[in-house]
Amino acid sequence: MLPFSYAIRNLFRDKARLLQTVGGSALVVLLVMGALALNQGMKQVLAASGSPHNVILLGAGSEESVQRSEVAEQAAGIAASEIPGVSETMGSRAVSTEIHYMGLARFPNGDEAQALFRGITPTALLAHPEVQVIEGSYPRTGEVMVGRLAWRQMKLDADALAPGATLRLEDQDLKVSAIFAAPGTVMESEVWLPIGDLRVLAQRDTVSCVVLRLDDPDDFAEADLFAKRRLDLELSALRESDYYARLSSFFAPLRAMTWLTAGLIAAGALFGGLNTLYAAFASRIREMATLQAIGFGRGALLASLIQESTLASLTGALLASVVALLLLDGFVVPFSIGTFTIEISPSVALTGILTGLFLGLLGALPPAIRCLKPALPVALRSS
Amino acid sequence: MKSTLLLALLSAAFVSCSKEAPTTEAKTKNTSPELQAVFVSSIPDEASPIHLARTTVQPGDLITLKGQIIGAAEPFVEGRAAFILGDREKLTPCNERPDDPCKTPWDTCCNTKEEFRVGTATIQVIGPDDRPLKEGLEGVEGLEKLSKILVKGRVAEQSGPGNLVINATAIQIVK
Repeated sequence: MLPFSYAIRNLFRDKARLLQTVGGSALVVLLVMGALALNQGMKQVLAASGSPHNVILLGAGSEESVQRSEVAEQAAGIAASEIPGVSETMGSRAVSTEIHYMGLARFPNGDEAQALFRGITPTALLAHPEVQVIEGSYPRTGEVMVGRLAWRQMKLDADALAPGATLRLEDQDLKVSAIFAAPGTVMESEVWLPIGDLRVLAQRDTVSCVVLRLDDPDDFAEADLFAKRRLDLELSALRESDYYARLSSFFAPLRAMTWLTAGLIAAGALFGGLNTLYAAFASRIREMATLQAIGFGRGALLASLIQESTLASLTGALLASVVALLLLDGFVVPFSIGTFTIEISPSVALTGILTGLFLGLLGALPPAIRCLKPALPVALRSS
Repeated sequence: MKSTLLLALLSAAFVSCSKEAPTTEAKTKNTSPELQAVFVSSIPDEASPIHLARTTVQPGDLITLKGQIIGAAEPFVEGRAAFILGDREKLTPCNERPDDPCKTPWDTCCNTKEEFRVGTATIQVIGPDDRPLKEGLEGVEGLEKLSKILVKGRVAEQSGPGNLVINATAIQIVK
């Protein structure tokens, strides 16, 4: 075997080529890590947004979208009294009547942004226990409470949605009374206000849905039975987790596009890297032949060339990991129904390193084989 | 060696096929006697369509309905002996409409709300506690979405002007 130091020394023979190989590999690894983290982030936020304990009663035929759904106001009361197994805290049943409304929020400085407004009653906090008011107080009439990531979703400064700030919805000024957190869910990007206010502003005489929290997720059958027995209420019962799983599959083409885009750019970088390695190894045919002449076998030379390439690509992978940790980790990405945070998790980091290793091993093989293929006399005479 | 591998693959394929094929039979085996007793080979009584029956019946009345398991994307209640029965004179499954590529024809999505309102009823099989049995009906004795059936039973107390609920005592699948 050739000594490891030989591979390291060779790496620095042409610094421009080294930079090209390391840079190309870093770009491919960064793209793979970015695409994976993006996909994982979106999937996680949608998975975490739906609790298996929660059942959504939607208008029959509107199972795809809460915003399109229309449910008679009295359905909540009837559901609360007829469905067994609903959670109860201090005498209040966890039944939340809600209006979901996508509206244009206007701000005093002239900014405008689409936001998801959710009209709620105080029992919404029982049906969605992950929601915690972290600053301010529960909204009264003329007030709203905003998710802590809503300002990012609306592409505003954080101050625009701080407690005390105002926003205008349908010609009505609303004061921000509180900030709430609902870690890892799309609710953190929403604006919540009393259902009475939103009913007037959105000019609705029905509600969008009724959310019930069950003590035992298996009691979903009772909610389903209620919806199918009360056909006059025109309801459809869905597990909240199933609703968000459907949304997740709706966004599958978007996630596929991120992979496709990353793949295309990565392919370009990969072929560029291969080209660089072909050129680098082609100029060393005589050197390799000389080493063969003094007794080193082709296998040892192949191993040394792969060592060189793997070292360069792993350096690129390391560089990409540092860039990903510094620039991508914690980055909040807005999408149509909320926001999610990109996280460079151990699995993403490991995928990046494995990609670097794969690039180094497979990227070096074709040019190295080509470099070592000529017969010794021919190789020794090559220029 | 090759023939041994081929034989192993073929036997694996046959084993997996034999495990998946008799779904209905497997479901029927796990069905309680109470539920199995409801399925009969014939109901001799004259059956009414849902839209006519609902205008005349009162809770406690004994009636026989005819219909098809249609009227919702998921007509069967998961884990409970209940389902939605649709009236063929009011609802039309999408697979019977020409050139309709709908993958869930039992949801009869082309019908109006009014047609749903008058043309659907809930059928349930109740136990001694007067609540639906805690087992699903889908697949039992071949009962599936789009199955055409006759149901005999009493109008349940939960029935109201807008919702007809029948406690089934006999179900006949019409071939």
